[in-house]
Amino acid sequence: MILSVRDLKVSFRTHDGPVRAIDGVSFDLEESEILGVVGESGSGKTVSLLAVMGLITDPNATIEGSIRYKGRELVGLPPRELRRLRGNEIAMIFQDPMTALTPVYTIGWQIAEQIRAHRGLSKSKAMERVEELLAEVNFPNPHEAMSRYPHQLSGGMRQRAVIAMALSCDPALLVADEPTTALDVTVQAGILDLVRKLRAKHKSAVVFITHDMGVVSELADRVMVMYAGRVVERGTRTELFSDPRHPYTRALLGSIPPLTGQKPRRLPAIPGSPPSLLRLPQGCAFGPRCPVRYEPCEAGKPGLGASAHAAACFRVAQA
Amino acid sequence: MSEPMTDTDRPILETRSLAKRFSIGTRFSAEGRRTVHAVDNVSLSVRRGETVGLVGESGCGKSTLARCLVRLYDITDGKLLFEGDDITSKSLSELRPLRRRLQMVFQDPSASLNPRRRVGDLVAEPLRIHGKLSAREITARVAELFELVGLLPDHVMRYPHEFSGGQRQRVGIARAIALNPDLVVLDEPVSALDVSVQAQIVNLLADLQEKLKLTYIFIAHDLSVVRQVSTRIAVMYLGSIAEEGPAEEVFATPAHPYSQALISAVPVVETTPAGARKRIILTGDVPSPLKPPSGCRFHPRCPIAAERCRSERPELKEYRPGRKAACHFPTLT
Repeated sequence: MILSVRDLKVSFRTHDGPVRAIDGVSFDLEESEILGVVGESGSGKTVSLLAVMGLITDPNATIEGSIRYKGRELVGLPPRELRRLRGNEIAMIFQDPMTALTPVYTIGWQIAEQIRAHRGLSKSKAMERVEELLAEVNFPNPHEAMSRYPHQLSGGMRQRAVIAMALSCDPALLVADEPTTALDVTVQAGILDLVRKLRAKHKSAVVFITHDMGVVSELADRVMVMYAGRVVERGTRTELFSDPRHPYTRALLGSIPPLTGQKPRRLPAIPGSPPSLLRLPQGCAFGPRCPVRYEPCEAGKPGLGASAHAAACFRVAQA
Repeated sequence: MSEPMTDTDRPILETRSLAKRFSIGTRFSAEGRRTVHAVDNVSLSVRRGETVGLVGESGCGKSTLARCLVRLYDITDGKLLFEGDDITSKSLSELRPLRRRLQMVFQDPSASLNPRRRVGDLVAEPLRIHGKLSAREITARVAELFELVGLLPDHVMRYPHEFSGGQRQRVGIARAIALNPDLVVLDEPVSALDVSVQAQIVNLLADLQEKLKLTYIFIAHDLSVVRQVSTRIAVMYLGSIAEEGPAEEVFATPAHPYSQALISAVPVVETTPAGARKRIILTGDVPSPLKPPSGCRFHPRCPIAAERCRSERPELKEYRPGRKAACHFPTLT
């Protein structure tokens, strides 16, 4: 087991009162497994992963629950210890590659710096490794690319450079937060292909955050669907896409226009919009938008249960 | 010139070899003054009541083309005709009566709405500028527009920040349709919205089109959304149209190798094991529009490029009624 998260809760104090961004999230991740986390803005998918990385440093935040990495508890670990893990054993890729790159150094220098910091290699040894890494992430001319500055590269190439940086220390866990959202589909296809290959080669476990159901279905082994800070459904890729159970998952899948076959005259849309975490509805957060809600949904929050393919819904539990 | 046409089959908007070039740099910069060929030789006609979808990767010129179509940009070369009337170089004052009939909806509704003004006021603005309506008539029209786009009557007094992204885009749409336009150019109208909200806006646009007999030019990078809303699509690559045809046909049997790669790259929800679908992965990046490649602009990335493609630029040709492709070797199925 690489990662085991139990009953993770993250709340922030704000001017408008406390906001619970994450409300009891639990999941496990095995070696070389890809977990897809799907959700809309405000669903808590990014915050839960920032918590895992120990990157929530806001003094107004409280983190409860347990995050175990290879059996070691990360919640409450001193920042120095966390820094040793981050970038070395746990790596992260963000949506905008420029957040991970500095404009004033070359790509080669930046990736080498990380290898030198974590592995203590000499400058020339580190540079050799950088060239290998850039070749691995399909830079057409890795040697030349090393001397390039980020602004001289296209968005797709920058994201590849960040992936090379993330892989530089052979991480056991790779967290990717919407890494392809800002990219064109043709470039995205290449990056997804790369993630699959790297997983096979490095045996890294991957947590892949996205709002795109298509991306998840192409990449993930297991899927977790989040809504308003809670996991509403989890299961294997096949379970989730061939037998979606939660009304939110079903509605979301139904509202995606098809790429082949007959076009529906109207799309089956979900009414309303995702709730504000400041004003969550009573009971089930999806209740007000749910086509199958009934009395129990307003009374309490449905739990996920223990089974492998589970949905947090009273209707599903009842069936 | 062709024979006179009747009003129904005359295109509402037409471009003839339209080009938009930007100059960048100065004569003192390292590379000197250079020209970006953002839109190059685009001939497109839009018929009344249809939705033409423009697709392509970022930087392909689709947004620049859209802005040329509503004359937000000056056109460098070629012609732009609105109902057969040449508006390529009309002055701003000559364009003013036309603006009413040609509207635009932008991607980010929070950027296109003034945060300091109430949304009712924002929707009333075009009515005040163009209309000859009294204050009371304007209030009535705003209420009517709010109902049309699915907002509540008491929303008029709110400010943009009090709305969700989907509602803000509804305000943007209400503004665009306030003057009963004929043609609306929609530049990525759903891209900034949450997935669960996108379908609502797509449905709203379809309803409005039917009710108000609108013609749309729809730009989006999400290909499944474009397919859903468009009757016809034009696939753009590096400033030019690579392929054009009825939306469902182009998606089912793309003729241009670029359209094939683009469509195959869209991740779709499948229950079969991953990787079952055939995918064409393009190598390299979109070339710079500063230095477009010789011959066919797609040849450096094209899986079937031949010698001829390097030297000779393919014209956009109609190879079958309704289907056009700019390729020497289109896939004909």
